[in-house]
Amino acid sequence: MRVALYRRKIGLLALLVAGVTVATGSSGWPAARGSSQPLHAATARQATAASQPLERYEASHQSMGTEFTVAAYGRDPKFLAETVEQVFEEIDRLDGQMSNYKPESELSQINREAASQAVQVEPNLFALIQKSLQYSQETDGAFDITVGPLMKAWGFFRGQGRVPSAAELDDVLKHVGHQHVKLDPERRTIYFDVPGIELDLGGIAKGYAVDRAVDILRENGVASALVSGGDSSIYAIGAPPGEQGWKITLRDPFDATKPADVVYLKDFSMSTSGNYNKFFKLGGKMYSHIMNPHTGMPVEDMLSTTVFVAGTTDSDALSKLYVLGVEGSRKYLATHPGIQALFFVPTGEGQEFSRVLLRSKSFDLPPGVVVRIEQ
Amino acid sequence: MDDETNEVTRRDFLKTAAAVTALAALPPAGGMPAMLTVPSPGSTVNYGIIGTGTEGCQLLSSLTRVPGARCVATSDIYPPNQKRGIATAGSNPQLYENYHQLLDRKDVDAVLIAVPLNLHTQMVLDALSAGKHVFVEKTMFFKEEEEKPIREAAAAHPKQVLQIGLQRRSDMLYRIAMDMIKDGAIGKVMFMRAQWHRNNDWRRPVPDPKFERLINWRMYREYSGGLMAELASHQIDIANWAFGAEPLSVVGTGGIDYWKDGRETDDNAQVILEYPAGRKMVWTSILYNTHYQFNEQIMGDRGTIEITLGKGLYYREPAAKVTQGAAKENWWAGATVTELADQQGSPIIPEITPPSEGFVAREQRFAREWLIRHGYRTMPSNDAWYEELTNYVASVRDGKPIACPLELGVADARAVIYGNRAIDTGQKVFWPKAQG
Repeated sequence: MRVALYRRKIGLLALLVAGVTVATGSSGWPAARGSSQPLHAATARQATAASQPLERYEASHQSMGTEFTVAAYGRDPKFLAETVEQVFEEIDRLDGQMSNYKPESELSQINREAASQAVQVEPNLFALIQKSLQYSQETDGAFDITVGPLMKAWGFFRGQGRVPSAAELDDVLKHVGHQHVKLDPERRTIYFDVPGIELDLGGIAKGYAVDRAVDILRENGVASALVSGGDSSIYAIGAPPGEQGWKITLRDPFDATKPADVVYLKDFSMSTSGNYNKFFKLGGKMYSHIMNPHTGMPVEDMLSTTVFVAGTTDSDALSKLYVLGVEGSRKYLATHPGIQALFFVPTGEGQEFSRVLLRSKSFDLPPGVVVRIEQ
Repeated sequence: MDDETNEVTRRDFLKTAAAVTALAALPPAGGMPAMLTVPSPGSTVNYGIIGTGTEGCQLLSSLTRVPGARCVATSDIYPPNQKRGIATAGSNPQLYENYHQLLDRKDVDAVLIAVPLNLHTQMVLDALSAGKHVFVEKTMFFKEEEEKPIREAAAAHPKQVLQIGLQRRSDMLYRIAMDMIKDGAIGKVMFMRAQWHRNNDWRRPVPDPKFERLINWRMYREYSGGLMAELASHQIDIANWAFGAEPLSVVGTGGIDYWKDGRETDDNAQVILEYPAGRKMVWTSILYNTHYQFNEQIMGDRGTIEITLGKGLYYREPAAKVTQGAAKENWWAGATVTELADQQGSPIIPEITPPSEGFVAREQRFAREWLIRHGYRTMPSNDAWYEELTNYVASVRDGKPIACPLELGVADARAVIYGNRAIDTGQKVFWPKAQG
């Protein structure tokens, strides 16, 4: 009963979002819908706003276990505030749908039921899972939404971190692997062919949420904004006034306060996977939360991987090129277009690292887009 | 109750009190100034305590750790409490069944009063006129009409300390919280929610039925203001402190709905207090569920402070920043930053956590560092009773400011009295205008 009610609520919200999209697609502003009222609230606001100087509005919101920040330029801070509030509501809705921490989420329901029966899935979530599996196949499992049980075995889920035994890992790996997730696009259902599979969208949901935020901002006419999901999933809409792009400092993998590289970004996304914000040390060894789904062990010899592509859902997933390493990624980029990847690789000498910047064989930026990386 | 018994009963205590009070109204024979009517640093404060039940012994026990104070006299009428008081004081005090005899002693500088609420006012008046410094437990007084004589007596003895036992006023945790509020850490303070929930009958064991009213005086309206007086008083004091004002009005409801055991005071009480500028406090107390126990949540438009048993948590509200024109943009990127301190709640007195390399511990450290960066670092505090009694001794001996003086006690007592009136009548009760 509770689940049913919940799903109905999501359906309603989805409808509202769809409604906004339609309105924008036809004319852009509600006042343009043939309204004869001269003092329609939105019209009045726009009229007043046009004479006002540009204002910058920035707000943050906790969701998906991290902090989302939006900064936007516009003429009316009140309108920006309302738009950003709508963005945060949408992110919360996605969190409620895709969280594996919340037992009532649609994803949790899938995890509970999909091993015993095919579960019908909401279209957007179905598409996201579909995309995730596609990335899993293309990256040979470097990106894999089924690593949840592995993360749990290593204590990275509401825990402090621990090293599992070899036997335990063997057992856990039986319940890991994207190949066990079966989708039926016609019936829009999902099924696990072994029990114990758990989907964890932690590696892609933030990017997806950033893209949805960008949609809402653009639908509302915002032409200059930056959306950051926990510093790791970023999209830049346009550029700040008078600038070529949004200035983004990529942190040093050993020191959060030290800049490594500076990126100027416009109408493009970047996402970073790194070993430094979620790890534990035991016996002098550092265990990071980024797992190799084939071995069940944390990935070594990589500090961080930042990927630049058009959309944040994609950059989020592709930041797991981290797992493939520089050579594996080189092969991947040979056959996949439009991607730039920046690797910070440990030299083995204290807190030193070397940079490797790779680019897809076919890499043409659309006109207007800026991705400039300065060391 | 059995009045014919030879045993001392609550009734006897009341009768004795009344009789001796009549005497005390005569020209003061025992109204001599006590030894310490002027600050005398370095001297020892000799004190007597009236009422050595649970709260009295809590005070006594804390006082044994306060340097420069010695218990020379105790007073109680209930034999087990008499024994307990002497044992807790540990200084071989003289026991008096009649508290007037304690007040008559010239070598008693200061008294502490920890007796049933209906006896507070008379004892405060007697102690002040006997030249003693006075510490009286909260709630300061029982009936509205008692405010005036206490004010008059305090004004007539301006050199004597009168401190009210609202110990949160001395509690480091609350003081830090109030400093944070004053500094604007939670923005505009608009709302407070507090509760005191238990799951028991709120009675004390009675070895002999004839002691029922004496021991369980909290159950009877003749002596007690019930949950409002015993529990809400502490938390309304916090609202008065946080809002920096007294309430304007109160609505409430309550009842004897679960423990129908002959008690006269409610087993549940709920009040909403309105303060100037639309600020409100919602308070609840129940005696049939303990899950939320007690805490105070003080809410502003920029944050929340939640204070619970020995622990204060601070939550930031996400605040939007609006600036004009183009800013110098510089964003930082890296691996996902896990959930920040504000939604977890940061301890307002940073705890010392064992060294650990786990990421949860590092998040806690992040929270602590955030607080320290904002200037909220303090040392761990002592218990509130110890602090308030150290303060009392320092006020008596050294003339230090009183932690909880008369005005705070009066404001608190009024809120208790009007809150109970609102519950009893079902009517909204307004504070009298233009007090003082």
